[in-house]
Amino acid sequence: MTWRVTPLTLSLLTVTAWVLSLAVLTARPDLFVAVLPLALVLATLAVRPSAPDYSVMHRISGDRVFEGDTVTVTVEVTASTVVALLELYEPLAAGCVLVSGNHRAVMTLRPGQTASWSYQISYPVRGVYDLGTLLVRVRDRWSLRWQERRHVDHKRVRVHPRSAPLRGLPRPLRTQTSVGDYVSRAFGEGIEPGDIRQFAPGDRIRQVNWRASLRLGTLYVTQQHRERNADVVLMLDTMAQVGTASVTTLDVAVRAAASLATAYLARKDRVGLIVYGGVIDWVRPGSGRAHYERIADSLLRADVVFTYVTKDLKLVPPRVLPPHAFIVALTPLLDRRFTQAAVDLVARGFDVLVLVVSPVDLMRAGVGVSPIDQLACRLWTLERRARLDELRRHGLPVIDWNPADPLEAAIAGLDRRRHRAVPVR
Amino acid sequence: MRHVPVPAFALTLFALTFRVAPIEPMAVIGLAGVLLIVVGMVMPWRWPIISAACIFTTNHALALWATDAPVSVLGAAGFGLAQLGLLQSADLGRCMRAASVGSGVVRAQIVRWIGFAVLTLTSTMFGTGVARSLSATLPVAVAPMLAAVGAVGVVVALALAATQAGRRGNG
Repeated sequence: MTWRVTPLTLSLLTVTAWVLSLAVLTARPDLFVAVLPLALVLATLAVRPSAPDYSVMHRISGDRVFEGDTVTVTVEVTASTVVALLELYEPLAAGCVLVSGNHRAVMTLRPGQTASWSYQISYPVRGVYDLGTLLVRVRDRWSLRWQERRHVDHKRVRVHPRSAPLRGLPRPLRTQTSVGDYVSRAFGEGIEPGDIRQFAPGDRIRQVNWRASLRLGTLYVTQQHRERNADVVLMLDTMAQVGTASVTTLDVAVRAAASLATAYLARKDRVGLIVYGGVIDWVRPGSGRAHYERIADSLLRADVVFTYVTKDLKLVPPRVLPPHAFIVALTPLLDRRFTQAAVDLVARGFDVLVLVVSPVDLMRAGVGVSPIDQLACRLWTLERRARLDELRRHGLPVIDWNPADPLEAAIAGLDRRRHRAVPVR
Repeated sequence: MRHVPVPAFALTLFALTFRVAPIEPMAVIGLAGVLLIVVGMVMPWRWPIISAACIFTTNHALALWATDAPVSVLGAAGFGLAQLGLLQSADLGRCMRAASVGSGVVRAQIVRWIGFAVLTLTSTMFGTGVARSLSATLPVAVAPMLAAVGAVGVVVALALAATQAGRRGNG
């Protein structure tokens, strides 16, 4: 490691030269005396300083957090030799917000002493962020020289989209064979009573409906509805986005997808994900907490990749789109290729619901209040309304969601309309 | 806390000069130095502090020269220490800006300054004694030349030391 002269040395040298010049010009011995402290300090440059020996440990409170959560970064420095002045600086990634403390520290250490410094940061937007690169600068006793080092203890923080709790969810029209929370029309094992019928060989005694049997004079049994789960595939439109910094239509759609995934997984459904954009990414339907982590990891990487190429859903493996899957398409309806893909899925017999994140309402907050801006917003609204009607004409149930409103309120009355038309099988 | 030493040292420099020559021009020049100190503390620049240090020195030299004041070794050593303190505390203040400062930093710096002040005063007294005995042996005519050569020699030696220190590595 090389010692370098600090700007303070140059300042001291400048002032020393100036004082000496004045001393010679005015022939005042006082000024020769006055320059002595400066000259004495500068004379220490002739002495070779000992190399400082210290170790740095970098810790973070969590490597998986939600948007807006705080992460505490703690740095511990242990010195083996005297460290006159130690400057530590950890550059923060773009999008990271310092909540408390400073990401710079200054400390002095004696041999064997350990000092720690901590600060809190938060990430308002999902993503993968790197931490752990510390720039360390050690100064000598009089701050005349410094050494700079780079301490790398690589840490990766995954910031997952924040999900909102959803009590009511759009129900799939078709269920799968595994056990779940949906009451199926089909009879079998379950707890929801259905029809009664005459006793048949093989029926269990506990199924006998004694009240009906006594009244009708022959044995009757109560049939139960099966309780099934569903395959739900969330299809995220990453073709285009509008909005500002942390509030783009994609960010809002990702948060909605995370909320839906959490809620469906809590219902024992299998949930999959297709990120449909310039690059197609997918997660096969699955269930459980570990599976949510897979979906969340895929969601936090979701970004708009521009392309002129129309992506074909044939690229998606069949196991990602199982038969009878319920597909929730999340889109701002900015790119017609996504609309076409959703219509194709309907044509292939899938149960598709389109959740449209309204870009107009999102942008209205950002644009001015001038008549031209308002007129543009109104024209855009009209154009979008025409496109929503076009989707509805294709038989697609569409929810137009203003991101300022809770998602739960937007999806509230949808099921009544859907299930009035098609019964659950 | 980090803002206190810089104005304190600046006011000390101002007061030491004003004590020698309590006249209006000295006060005006000193206040210009104080103004530059304020600029140096507010803005992220080094030059106002260096300029202020040079202005305080010039002011002090003018005061001594104009009033032909008697030589005060302690006053001169105090002026030099205050000037060193001004430059170092300004540098430390810059270093501490927007940083978490460890508990021992300020204490260690104060101890270092006190130790250095004692060392400086001791060496000044010793140096003054040596200079007094030498002055009797030197002819008066060559004294200014010797002082100038000595001053240039000191500056060159310190500049060389700084250059070498910048180049030198210690593994």
